[in-house]
Amino acid sequence: MSLSFQLKKHFRDFSIDMGFSIEENMAVLFGPSGAGKSLLLNLISGIIKPDKGFVRIEEREVFNSETGINVPIRDRKIGYLFQDYALFPHMTVFENIAYGINSLPKNKIKTKVEELLDLMRLGGLEHRFPKELSGGQKQRAALARTLAAEPRILLLDEPFSALDYQVREKLRADLLLIHQKYPITTFFVTHDLEEAFVMGDNIAIINNGRLEQFGAREDVFYKPKTKNVAKFLGARNIFSGRVVSLNGATAVIKNPELGEIKASIRHDEEHLEVDDNITFGIRPEEIMIIRPDKPIDKKVQDNLLEGEVLTTLGKGASHTIYFKIQDRDATFKIEIPNFAYRKLKLSKGKTITVSLKKESIWIIPEKQVKV
Amino acid sequence: MIDLFPLYLTLKVSFVATFFSIIIGLCLAWLMARREFYGKGVLDALIMQPLVIPPTVLGYYLLVLLGRASPLGRFLEDTLGITLVFTWKAAVVAAFVASLPLFVRPARAAIEGVDKNLENAARLLGKTEWDVLKTITIPLAWRGIAAGSIIAFARATGEFGATLMVAGNIPGITQTIPIAIYDAVQMGNTNLANILVGIITLFSFSVIYFVNRFTKGRY
Repeated sequence: MSLSFQLKKHFRDFSIDMGFSIEENMAVLFGPSGAGKSLLLNLISGIIKPDKGFVRIEEREVFNSETGINVPIRDRKIGYLFQDYALFPHMTVFENIAYGINSLPKNKIKTKVEELLDLMRLGGLEHRFPKELSGGQKQRAALARTLAAEPRILLLDEPFSALDYQVREKLRADLLLIHQKYPITTFFVTHDLEEAFVMGDNIAIINNGRLEQFGAREDVFYKPKTKNVAKFLGARNIFSGRVVSLNGATAVIKNPELGEIKASIRHDEEHLEVDDNITFGIRPEEIMIIRPDKPIDKKVQDNLLEGEVLTTLGKGASHTIYFKIQDRDATFKIEIPNFAYRKLKLSKGKTITVSLKKESIWIIPEKQVKV
Repeated sequence: MIDLFPLYLTLKVSFVATFFSIIIGLCLAWLMARREFYGKGVLDALIMQPLVIPPTVLGYYLLVLLGRASPLGRFLEDTLGITLVFTWKAAVVAAFVASLPLFVRPARAAIEGVDKNLENAARLLGKTEWDVLKTITIPLAWRGIAAGSIIAFARATGEFGATLMVAGNIPGITQTIPIAIYDAVQMGNTNLANILVGIITLFSFSVIYFVNRFTKGRY
């Protein structure tokens, strides 16, 4: 099962121009509000007609502007879960789910709907109308309706955005389980970073109607290819600098605020040269705070910076620390687990030493940085 | 005893006219609400004309259009054998044209009020445009459509000016209640005028009252 597309569409003050293909079971489309996520799903499903390009589902073309193929929406067999679920308000849960089951005898429809009701934990609610359901129930009813039609691919448009945090977590787990039972190629749209991380092995990052990066989750998170990607993914510690020397697998970068920083070069950064202007950074959770009572481990002896804790913010399982380098303007955002926070006895104003592990620093050559 | 023919004719004309208003009006309302096409604004203005031009002018247009002097009138009479002018059918045409905009307006608004994503959801579930209309759009817009039908029916029963122009005032053949009222007053038959006015008033009031109660949304 796969989905591939290359699409162009111009609107009055916005345009979409991107393409890639998903072979995997579940891919995440991540982007800020207004990036064109829902529009892209509308173009793929045929709700909006693209100006140019193609859409292929399992090697079968459903749209191609060159050959004039434009399969009607009803024949594309695309499951689309709308952000507001789009349950039919004048039909019961049962009728909603049964709606997309075309050409089956009545008793078989009943069996199938009951199976889905069971799977979605909607048993006993089949005679309710959508307005009599909770947000989570509506979401599951809509998913059941979509699955009942046996789609070839599944497009989920921010399916959990309207739900409470607790419900959301439960439903994410549900969805992953359901996905194991119905392994349909799924394209999951979200603007929630945590959700993007939990749901997809592969992540596509889009911004302003363009694809910024598409790849494995770890690559995208820890090796952003563009400044935008780094920003969207919460890598708040972004600096610019210049390569001053290259020494085997290590590059030395100079930044006026930070001084000289060592960074490991990954295999696909080998084209880096001395004097190249670059953007570099490190994820907040990759910064190590050195424990004063212990000798410095060899792994973290590079890039030691001394400074002051500006503020600390507790949030759930971790603490965010804003750290300012001594006598400089550069600040870092650091995230550490709560146990480490307690052990280090951190507080506002405290002087600490941090290490930017050279393996954790990502580099984007300036010439690749899109403005 | 008063002559019940005007009441009978008014109901017959109004039912037939409303029937056509619903069928043709639904197509127009759907087109207006859901499709973009060249000349949409002109068509819209044309449908709404009967609301603003004097009924006598409307009647005059119909008289010219449906009479033997026009190609359409001649086609109807020679080829199809239908004579419209000064028959009860002409009264139907007049009532239809006058009531059509009153049906189209609420029906269009009701269709526009149906969330497009619900229609898209139905398409994505494999439904044809006709299925979508039948199972989603019309059921969700039916209050507006029903309200439009009732108002169109009421307008048809009260149609006077255009009907008089194109169907005339022939007692027992084309004399509807509004024309009979006019006739009665002209003849000084105040008693008859009062009774007919009473019927029309009661009817009109009930229509608006029930339409208002009815259109309070459920979803």
